[in-house]
Amino acid sequence: MFTFLVKRLFQALIVMFVISLVAFAIQDNLGDPLRELVGQSVSEEERQVLRDELGLNDPYMTKYTRFISNAVQGDLGTSYFFKKPAAEVILNKLQATLELVFGAALIIVFVSIPLGVFSAIHPKSAWTKLIMALSSFGISIPVFLTAIMLMYVFAIELNWLPSYGRGDTVNVLGWETGFLTKDGLLHLILPCISLASIMLPLFIRLVRSEMLEALSSEYVKFATAKGLAMNKIYYQHALKNTMLPVLTVGGVQIGTMVAYTILTETVFQWPGTGFLFLEAINRVDTPLITAYVIFVGLIFVVTNTIVDLLYGVVNPTVNITGKGA
Amino acid sequence: MSLLEVKNLRIEYPSRHGVHAAVKSLSFTIERGEIVGVVGESGAGKSTVGNGIIDLLSPPGVIASGEVFLEGEKVSGLSPQEMRKVRGSKIGFIFQDPMTSLNPLFTIERQLTETILANLDVTPQEAVSRALTLMEQVGIPEPHLRIKQYPHQFSGGMRQRVVIAIALSGEPDLIIADEPTTALDVSIQDQILKLIRDLCIKKNVGCMLVTHDMGVVSNVTDKVAVMYRGDLVEFGATQQVLGTPVHDYTRSLISAVPRSDIKLDRFPLVSYIEEAHEMEKLDVKTHWLGQSEDQRIYTGPLLNVENVSLRFITKDSFFESRREFVQASNNVSFQIQEGETFGLVGESGSGKSTIARVIAGLYPPDEGKVTFEGVDLTALKSEKERRPMRRQMQMVFQNPYTSMNPRMKIFDIIAEPIRFHKLAESEAQTRQIVHDLLDHVGLGRMAGVKYPHEFSGGQRQRISIARALATRPRLLICDEPTSALDVSVQAQILNLLKDLQDELNLTMLFISHDLPVIRQVCDRIGVMKQGQLLEIAPTEQLFTNPQHDYSKHLVSLMPEFKGLRNDLESA
Amino acid sequence: MKFFKTKLAVALLAAGLSFTSSAADVTVAYDADPVSLDPHEQLSGGTMQMSHMLFDPLVRFTKEFDFEARLAEKWERIDATTFRFNLRKGVKFHSGNTMTADDVVWTFNRLKVSGDFKGVFAPYEKMVKVDDYTVEIKSTEPYPLVLQTATYIFPMDSKFYSGQADGKDKGAIVKHGNSFASTNVSGTGPFIVTSREQGIKVVFERFDDYWDTKSPGNVDKLTLVPIKEDATRVAALLSGDVDLIHPVAPNDQKRVKTTKDIDLTTVAGTRIITFQMNQNSNPALKDVRVRQAIVHAINNKGIVKKIMKGFATTAGQQGPAGYAGYDQALVPRYDLKKAKQLMKEAGYEKGFKLSMMAPNNRYVNDAKIAQAASAMLSKIGIKVDLKTLPKAQYWPEFDVCAADMMMIGWHSDTEDSANFSEFLTMTRNKETGKGAYNCGHYANPTVDNLVNSANAETDPAKRGAMLQEVEQILYKDAAFVPLHWQNLAWGAKSNLEIAPIVNALNFPYFGDLVVK
Repeated sequence: MFTFLVKRLFQALIVMFVISLVAFAIQDNLGDPLRELVGQSVSEEERQVLRDELGLNDPYMTKYTRFISNAVQGDLGTSYFFKKPAAEVILNKLQATLELVFGAALIIVFVSIPLGVFSAIHPKSAWTKLIMALSSFGISIPVFLTAIMLMYVFAIELNWLPSYGRGDTVNVLGWETGFLTKDGLLHLILPCISLASIMLPLFIRLVRSEMLEALSSEYVKFATAKGLAMNKIYYQHALKNTMLPVLTVGGVQIGTMVAYTILTETVFQWPGTGFLFLEAINRVDTPLITAYVIFVGLIFVVTNTIVDLLYGVVNPTVNITGKGA
Repeated sequence: MSLLEVKNLRIEYPSRHGVHAAVKSLSFTIERGEIVGVVGESGAGKSTVGNGIIDLLSPPGVIASGEVFLEGEKVSGLSPQEMRKVRGSKIGFIFQDPMTSLNPLFTIERQLTETILANLDVTPQEAVSRALTLMEQVGIPEPHLRIKQYPHQFSGGMRQRVVIAIALSGEPDLIIADEPTTALDVSIQDQILKLIRDLCIKKNVGCMLVTHDMGVVSNVTDKVAVMYRGDLVEFGATQQVLGTPVHDYTRSLISAVPRSDIKLDRFPLVSYIEEAHEMEKLDVKTHWLGQSEDQRIYTGPLLNVENVSLRFITKDSFFESRREFVQASNNVSFQIQEGETFGLVGESGSGKSTIARVIAGLYPPDEGKVTFEGVDLTALKSEKERRPMRRQMQMVFQNPYTSMNPRMKIFDIIAEPIRFHKLAESEAQTRQIVHDLLDHVGLGRMAGVKYPHEFSGGQRQRISIARALATRPRLLICDEPTSALDVSVQAQILNLLKDLQDELNLTMLFISHDLPVIRQVCDRIGVMKQGQLLEIAPTEQLFTNPQHDYSKHLVSLMPEFKGLRNDLESA
Repeated sequence: MKFFKTKLAVALLAAGLSFTSSAADVTVAYDADPVSLDPHEQLSGGTMQMSHMLFDPLVRFTKEFDFEARLAEKWERIDATTFRFNLRKGVKFHSGNTMTADDVVWTFNRLKVSGDFKGVFAPYEKMVKVDDYTVEIKSTEPYPLVLQTATYIFPMDSKFYSGQADGKDKGAIVKHGNSFASTNVSGTGPFIVTSREQGIKVVFERFDDYWDTKSPGNVDKLTLVPIKEDATRVAALLSGDVDLIHPVAPNDQKRVKTTKDIDLTTVAGTRIITFQMNQNSNPALKDVRVRQAIVHAINNKGIVKKIMKGFATTAGQQGPAGYAGYDQALVPRYDLKKAKQLMKEAGYEKGFKLSMMAPNNRYVNDAKIAQAASAMLSKIGIKVDLKTLPKAQYWPEFDVCAADMMMIGWHSDTEDSANFSEFLTMTRNKETGKGAYNCGHYANPTVDNLVNSANAETDPAKRGAMLQEVEQILYKDAAFVPLHWQNLAWGAKSNLEIAPIVNALNFPYFGDLVVK
């Protein structure tokens, strides 16, 4: 366990180091941050002075060395726009993003598993055909469109749900959550559904195919031959085995979902990191961009680690403390 | 009244191309305390019979006609609810592979007790105590500890014991065992068969034993039903059927079984095969396969394994001192001369496959070296240096599926090494060679356009042999190459290898747990146990006069063909 | 309760002049929120909008570009270089301090050192305090635009911003990084900031001691939320989640207009959108006939109608109507036949190739306009190699004038015609900083002289004539391709009377907003 975590930590550091290198290398191609910092009538000399002050005129290696030496001390640079440490800005916004991802993950879990399992058990049912048709249709709709359609129907026409933002939040142990207020929950619904809609078809298909595989396995056949009731075979023997690969894929997809929040958050003006990132790109807020990319890398490593740990808990044949011969 | 009576059973698989009858009008009976073997080659429909009886046919299979009676009560055509009551409590089932028939995520306790609770009217506490008793009965030591464990913590043999315990836990009247020992080591096969036999007698239950192994049939069964292409060709007392086979098919099947008692030059073929792919007789003297351009001036042993040791980590730790290892290979040395076939025998886990992989360069040894024609393979550094060596040494695995790219057609899988090593002069020649190889391993050239998943295990085995031969190797490392094959195919493949060896002076390292096969194929044999090479002896000497105690033990386990006629060669 | 009472007192005071103004909560959605609470940190629309809420200028523009007294009650020109302002008495800052001439001078001096604003105040030598409520501003040369620049003087609470916080000067202007002034504010404006989460919302509440008791405004609490996405912003308005939005994309305007209880308010804007024709990079563009041909070939009326959905005013010159240099004779000139004729005359009957660049997220429909323009140019044989880029990547390209035709929009900081020429059409000059955005490399000494003279002419009539002449020369020389002035649009619930408070400058005077 200790070895495993040490290895993962080391891995994470390498990943983030490589990401920072890449992020830094492309920085100069993102545009000129000065444009967004000063008014249109400011002269070129003034801009040069500012560039010098910000260290933008230094050679790549000087900039990168400075960045790394600061980063080692936990300073990922200061956002031009927010005028606060980039890491702090991202941590502030991360709560909103994580809640969005969590809400979407809940929807995915509670929709994809029943539908996937149902369609695997009843492959010939008309409902299954409908589910599969909808899910292949769902894959092809861009999230942007889903979001706008949801907003049009539920916010404008029916006026049931709010159209943008996060609503009221309450502070629980330093975490601003929208899950504990009615307003916050209402605001979560549409963004979570549209974020979930990206992954939902994929997960339904994944659950279905894993369930089908489990159902065709020898142990299910053997369990049938043992005289067990079908429900027990479906929902205990097969389902648990179905969940293992779903957990692995799902864990990785949660990392991906953090990246997918960019579109959803933009449409719903959700004050999270995805929206932040898009804005940072528009504003050429390079310290923030770099910090965000590094954070996303970290989230990937962390989710993968958690998934591996969970996998070890759920699957008795895996022992992460040591590898077999 | 018989325990089981099967009357005119017909099982069909309807498809777009018409109806395929897997079992055609089958009738037989099983009595209490009796073991009836159902024997035949793959595709004969023998497993289908077992699955049909408890209504576990894989779709779209259906019982088209006929009836099944258990103690006089009709059990065919029941509703799913009624059928469920038959399963487990009246008929227990044992599947072929204990590795896959247990749910990997549940403890043995849970899998046993849920069966007991589903079939018997007992309390959960009683179920646990019954489970413990059953585990003891099937010979699992320390049942109190082991019941809490998961399947992966059991060896293959122990798992099959668990499966048997589960099959018995509903107190059934009949047990259907579908190839219960095929996936197990030879030393364990014997124990499991004995166990099944003893339990059947002790509990007075009937047993239907489905197998392709004539040795098993002759050792265990009271009666035998021989199936060929869905038809029952012969049914009677084992002694009688094996001793005086009436049907031609039975005769030729028996004759193809490798003899454990005497070494023959060639394996007799199963001649009774209608419409099957005729194996092309290939004249290796004139064929491309026989025209290797490798220079042969080296006079020493072709392969020299010197003091090879290798250990694997079983428990990793950050601190070196806390790591735990298993010694997979402990100071192993042997030599193989050009043209010789060297056999390695031993239980699974004895390290024989590890040695094969070290020779093939898949594992670097911790100590020792491997030389091929005087070249130290372990010292080769670059891929470029290894490539010609790789071509001359080919491996054939027991389960070749994982080594085939699922997206490549069979033709390309076999043609790949020819193209890679530029062995053919033209694409047309490549095509011809691949077709010949496919014909030769009995698949037929039409198999080339299919993908690996479209083939059965035995067919894939032949594909992998064809691929190995496609490089015109000088050393063939065969790791259990025919253990999953029917006797007829096994005979064809082994004959092919022998032909190649005779004509091409092919050298072979042959690993198997099947002692009769080893005896037929090998010139010299090494016996391995726990990573150590205990004894090396010429084949006949090892079988007639084993020196090491363990060798003696192994030889004694060899299944014998009781009651077979002595003049089988004439069959 | 106390809050309510004071509110009531203010209401009672105003009762004699206006109807009962009941308190109102309003949520406003913009496409961005202010980057800082420091009014001098960045010269941008967002900062100016915020300044008009938290501060008050000495004078401000009316809808018709006249001047309205705010913190300056009266003003007069003393001589060619001196201008006097009489300040309003009894004006309170949010901190409770009373505004005096010292605060105005302090603010002026701070503007003179602000990177973004010092350009606007470059013509001035200094501001002097005459007495507690009188200041004089002195320019180095005679300068006609004193009142225009006075709209940028939002007196700050000098006492509040003086001293040290965290070891740093409270009044320091910091571009990058945190400063006292960027997060704390004390102005004289109608609102105070009660909470601010950057990028999420800013909450403004009415300042109880606001000096302008005559203001009809009855907004008690104003929440400003940034909603970046056009569609989301409109949805928020249509669903009733917000009361007022800006901007409204051309495609959404019909929807907003036709929705019950929601109104669309538009104002002709002053931001000119143009193409510059780079005479240095493409020799063909040196020929005035070719430039004229291009101007004649581009159907800017059609662009306004089809692409801008009528949401812009077709332009034939730099400054819009109401500006000093506006000449109504300089009309758009789309004439394809003439364009072809001109190309023939110039010897380019067979056309030529040129490169074009435009941003794709800076101006309304920028990329579509560029695509339409290049299609129009193909009709006179000009093959356009068009590249559209996000603004972040576009500006570095613009800095080096990377294409033969580049799109640029310009809003005059002084709401004056001369400003356009200073940045866009005067000869590029590194030393004087003139023509800094002149990627056409158009150079005409007559224009340069006229603009310079106009900037020293204090007689409005004479000055106007000079600036009109500039526009006429540019028109004749086809110095650039004028497209249109973008309109401004607000969508609001019908109970918000926004027409009186919005203007072409896009600084709505929310202090005066009446909610019925």
